[in-house]
Amino acid sequence: MACPRCHAQATALKAKERWALVGNPNTGKSSLVNALAGADLQVGNWPGTTLERLSAALDLAGAEVELVDLPGTYSLLPTSPEEALVARELLASPPDRLLLVLDAGNLERSLVLALEAMELALPTAAVVNLLDEAEAKGLEVDLAALEEALGLPVAGAVAARGRVAGVLAKALEARVPAPPVRYPGPLEEALGRLEGLAPSRGAALLALLGETASLPQALVRAAEEARARLLAEGHDPYLLALEGRYARAQEIYREAVRRKSAPSSLTERLDRLVLHPLLGLPLFLFALFLAFRFTFALSTPWVDLVGLVQEVLAGWLAALPLPALLRAFLAEGLVAGVGTVLSFTPVLFLLYLALAFLETSGFLARMAFVADRLMRWAGLPGKAFIPLVLGFGCNVPAVYATQALAHPLDRLRVALAIPFLACGARLPVFTLFAFAFFPQNAPLAVLGLYLLGLGVGLATALLLGRVLGAGPGEGAMELPPYRFPPWKLLLRLSLARTASFVRGAGGPILVAVLLVWVLMNLPLGGTIPYAFLAQALTPLFAPLGVGDWRLVGALIPGFVAKEVVVGALGVSFLGPEGVGPLGLAEGLRTLAQGLETALLGTLQGLAALFGPPSLLPPHEPTPLQAALTGALAPKGALAYLVFVLLYTPCAATLAALRTVVGRRWAGLAVAYQLLVAYLLAFAASRSLP
Amino acid sequence: MPMPSLAHLPNRTRARVVRVSPERKRLLALGLRPGAVVEVLLRAPLGDPLEVRAGDAFLLLRLEEARHVQVEVL
Repeated sequence: MACPRCHAQATALKAKERWALVGNPNTGKSSLVNALAGADLQVGNWPGTTLERLSAALDLAGAEVELVDLPGTYSLLPTSPEEALVARELLASPPDRLLLVLDAGNLERSLVLALEAMELALPTAAVVNLLDEAEAKGLEVDLAALEEALGLPVAGAVAARGRVAGVLAKALEARVPAPPVRYPGPLEEALGRLEGLAPSRGAALLALLGETASLPQALVRAAEEARARLLAEGHDPYLLALEGRYARAQEIYREAVRRKSAPSSLTERLDRLVLHPLLGLPLFLFALFLAFRFTFALSTPWVDLVGLVQEVLAGWLAALPLPALLRAFLAEGLVAGVGTVLSFTPVLFLLYLALAFLETSGFLARMAFVADRLMRWAGLPGKAFIPLVLGFGCNVPAVYATQALAHPLDRLRVALAIPFLACGARLPVFTLFAFAFFPQNAPLAVLGLYLLGLGVGLATALLLGRVLGAGPGEGAMELPPYRFPPWKLLLRLSLARTASFVRGAGGPILVAVLLVWVLMNLPLGGTIPYAFLAQALTPLFAPLGVGDWRLVGALIPGFVAKEVVVGALGVSFLGPEGVGPLGLAEGLRTLAQGLETALLGTLQGLAALFGPPSLLPPHEPTPLQAALTGALAPKGALAYLVFVLLYTPCAATLAALRTVVGRRWAGLAVAYQLLVAYLLAFAASRSLP
Repeated sequence: MPMPSLAHLPNRTRARVVRVSPERKRLLALGLRPGAVVEVLLRAPLGDPLEVRAGDAFLLLRLEEARHVQVEVL
């Protein structure tokens, strides 16, 4: 017997079982599933990383076990949509076994939920996770005493570091617990009258507290009466239930937890610095600045390498005896398309890595605290600041990050705000124009564009909230403790996210690149569609002071990715760069050199991280800039910049939007972006003499 | 004198929660229940939101929410 202190008999394993993990938010349920089943569920260090039901399969002693990772919850009586999901899962389709996941460092509150879940009378076992954190807090959890007090098999674990030995053995020992809590008199009496109607004591209690979903009708009606009677007598059943559970949780806590040393005040001390009224904000901005710098310094050599590989492939293709049009399609369409997708991956991987560190360490959740005021102005929860800030690096992961927001309406509003934020890809366009047209005030102009993007984004969220009738954003949330993330976890997390980007957005980007290539190259009735389309659109842009069709035309491939705007301008103003045929050996040599340059560049980038920021290089106008200043007046340039800032950022962002908010909203978003971009660009052109 | 709320509690002062209106289930569930010992650790610029310790947990509360938690200073 693995649990000599348990009361009931262990439940025998069936051939096919479903196990549900239940616990407070941020107690490592997803990490536990990952460690047990070798799955790749998303983990983080903020409450609410898991917002939907996720599951992984596990083969155990010949039985097929589905591990269901439910969102974290504080109680089975839901206060938010993702908590409602937990209650529904447990009541409407009871799992074969319940694994209670307890936070060793915050055992009292974990126990309150555990006691509540035990009343559902399902075969149950408990896992005390985060034992390392409890130790750091100077606490020792006596697992045997806990087993005794709960009457359940209890395993210890540090899931994020893979220390889960013994968890499955204890889970196999799961048993139906005896009712763990005696409630204050009036509540206990009311419960006694309801229990005959309910599948379990837990269900009776939930009904008494006003829950109606997934409960028998007769129970709900009887509970309503009983509830009214209690309230009339001046007893709030919710407070009574809480009182009873806390009293029992405290008893168990005293039996099972010993204080070994003075509590470490690491989180408190760090918070005093990180959340400092004056230092806090600059500190966050600095951390973000470092994260972006890390991303771009280390990714640029690899993005360049992708470009080089494209050139070499194009050179090889040029040496093949192929029809010119087919060769061009392969080189400029297919190779360029796959290259565009691949050139996103170093940026995304590194940004995800930096982000995973900020997130799992607990730093990112603090940002919600610092930015709460700004977010409230836009009617958003403080948490919404995190995806918004990410948008300045790259819109794509930012849009995906909105999935961490609990309320669908918040998710929608932030996701639609993000495309207005100036991502790294828009910067080359900004600097090209800003230095050509406003050489004295270039940094100011660029900064202004960033702020304009943020303003338009927040206003969008605010407006959408007004239109759709959003309630006041919810503020209360838990600040996770600081954790030092294991590097393996960071790597796995960022690789999984990058891979999911390539899977989800790779196809749409490729299609978009090929489409643009067809537009630019296939002659239709004497003209190429690109020039025809650009010339047809040019009158529309005349009011903005942009009258050159080549400038208008460059906006079309800009839908695919803003990086290509500069390239398209170069081609149409200065003529295409010729690609000469390339020998096999010569190409391989170029590739080898490119790889070496990329590796060296990465090292230099690492070193430069710790140096002073390099200012923008002193700057002679390039041939392209000279050509641009001939084609455009400053007010037209400003309008062009505003338009590039605000219209649809790239095919990848669009693909992300479609995933997060659905096809209809993504379509609406494009229309809205074009409208806003046009109107504000018009206003900008009028703002200059 | 009316009972002070968590919103009025000076930083680094320990207090005991006396009453939280039962409609504020989220606050209760987060650990701000009658009898819990709480402490305001710090306030963001402009005094809002607050970082509050409740038991072993660190919570972020907006001022408006903190007003619903009545406390007595220990």
